[in-house]
Amino acid sequence: MTATTRTSTALRRSGPIAAAAVLVSVALTACGGGGSTPAPPGASGKTTSGSSYDAIITGGPKAAASAISASSWAQNVQKQGYIRRGGTDTGPLFSLKDPTTGKVTGFDAGLSQMLAHYITGKTDVANLEKLTITTVDTRETLLQNGSVDTVIATYTITPARAQKVDFAGPYYESGDAIMVKADNNDIKTIDDLKGKNVATESNSTAALALKQKVPDAKVTLFQTDEECVAAVQQGRVDAYVLDQGILISDASTNKAVKVVGQPFTQEPYGIGLPKDQGGAKQFVNDFLQKIYADGSWAKLWKATIGTIVKGDAPKPPTIGSAPGS
Amino acid sequence: MHVVTDNFGYILGGFLVTVELTVLGYVGALVLGTVLAVFRVGPITPLRVVGTVYVEFFRNIPLLALLILFVFGLPDVGLTFSLFSSAAICLALTGAAYVCESVRSGINAVPVGQAEAARAIGLPFSKVLTVVVLPQALPPLVNVFIGMALGSSLAAAVGVAELTNRTQQLNLQYAEAVATFLVAGAFYVAMAFLGAGGGRWLENRIGRRVGARR
Repeated sequence: MTATTRTSTALRRSGPIAAAAVLVSVALTACGGGGSTPAPPGASGKTTSGSSYDAIITGGPKAAASAISASSWAQNVQKQGYIRRGGTDTGPLFSLKDPTTGKVTGFDAGLSQMLAHYITGKTDVANLEKLTITTVDTRETLLQNGSVDTVIATYTITPARAQKVDFAGPYYESGDAIMVKADNNDIKTIDDLKGKNVATESNSTAALALKQKVPDAKVTLFQTDEECVAAVQQGRVDAYVLDQGILISDASTNKAVKVVGQPFTQEPYGIGLPKDQGGAKQFVNDFLQKIYADGSWAKLWKATIGTIVKGDAPKPPTIGSAPGS
Repeated sequence: MHVVTDNFGYILGGFLVTVELTVLGYVGALVLGTVLAVFRVGPITPLRVVGTVYVEFFRNIPLLALLILFVFGLPDVGLTFSLFSSAAICLALTGAAYVCESVRSGINAVPVGQAEAARAIGLPFSKVLTVVVLPQALPPLVNVFIGMALGSSLAAAVGVAELTNRTQQLNLQYAEAVATFLVAGAFYVAMAFLGAGGGRWLENRIGRRVGARR
């Protein structure tokens, strides 16, 4: 989103060539997800990516030796010395790479690092996880073939997915909201989207929610958050539907758009684990219970999502409360 | 496999969009590319420069980057095309660079003697091109077709609801990446296969008619 904002400015200031350069960089980012998206200037200042973030990770609990020996999955991670996570490095608030330091931080990234610290006890936060970039097309497969130990990637628990992989959690509950152009006063609730052009990210479950709630909305899938915001800004679509936290973070740095209404879905995010393997699900659920109880979860929320969403950390969701968890 | 059987019409619809994209893009690329090739082999320097600059630009910019420029860059200067036409235009623009180079190399590969012989028996330049040179430039054009058929999948990234995009949508719902992409892959293979077969058939036909087989 920031890249697009900068693009329009660049166009006005220095003509098409600068714009082309910026857009190509957006394209490359969109392409593999392997590139690094420039952090939103507003957000990066607020996001805790320095020593206090690290302190929250290393201040988390450590597993008892007996708990680890009860799970062959945890033993493997301990032997490795780090956790292999499937996720993204372009997700604001949840898992975003800082292009200057190369560090990935956010709520999802933090949980992964906290889990690795829980198992290995190591305190070098930058090396607690090895990130493999996943998309919605590869998450289940990478878990099934053992390429990653876990997927923590705003991964919504659904019964269909739970047939392929195990879900610990839910560790966070979110909901989809609506973004429109700042001067749009026609769209206020989900019902106003009937017959409208609506964009969403191809990696999210928002497309499914739209299909259920407003079957006659015309849904267009774009690859990245930036592209969806640009589509709203340029009038290509009437609205953009995605997780409220992400939309609020977009709108906080882009005055051309606004977020309307309250979330109209419930998205329980789970920690994806290989199916029926080495007591992984039980082990990670125990870990979640511990960080719920000792306040580490709330501290992590405050340092990441809490930089954009106002108020105190919410009550963590009940483990096993989502169908499929 | 119910993900495939239940949604076969949906997948087929996406395949049709892919076919439309490829055919439109390919036809556009053939026309533009041939003109550019004539520019490049012709004697007029400014046209040669135009042809060369075009090819060097469009052959060297990734199709995905071009698509994103087109879809998200142009609206900022007041030009908004629909997603589908954007994708078709970008495919044609990129394809034209490859067609141009294929046709040019086809022309260059024809031994000078053949062109001289054709001229000696009194064929005009247009006939030299269409009955002697063009049939021999066909095989590489089949490659370009296949490249464009597969490249059209990048349109999924800018929201065109073609085969790959619909496969991704299905996968969101069913979490069956392997099955759905196998099916999508099979459609692409079939399309490339038919394209290659059609090209071979056309080559034989033209070759037989003018007796200029390689």
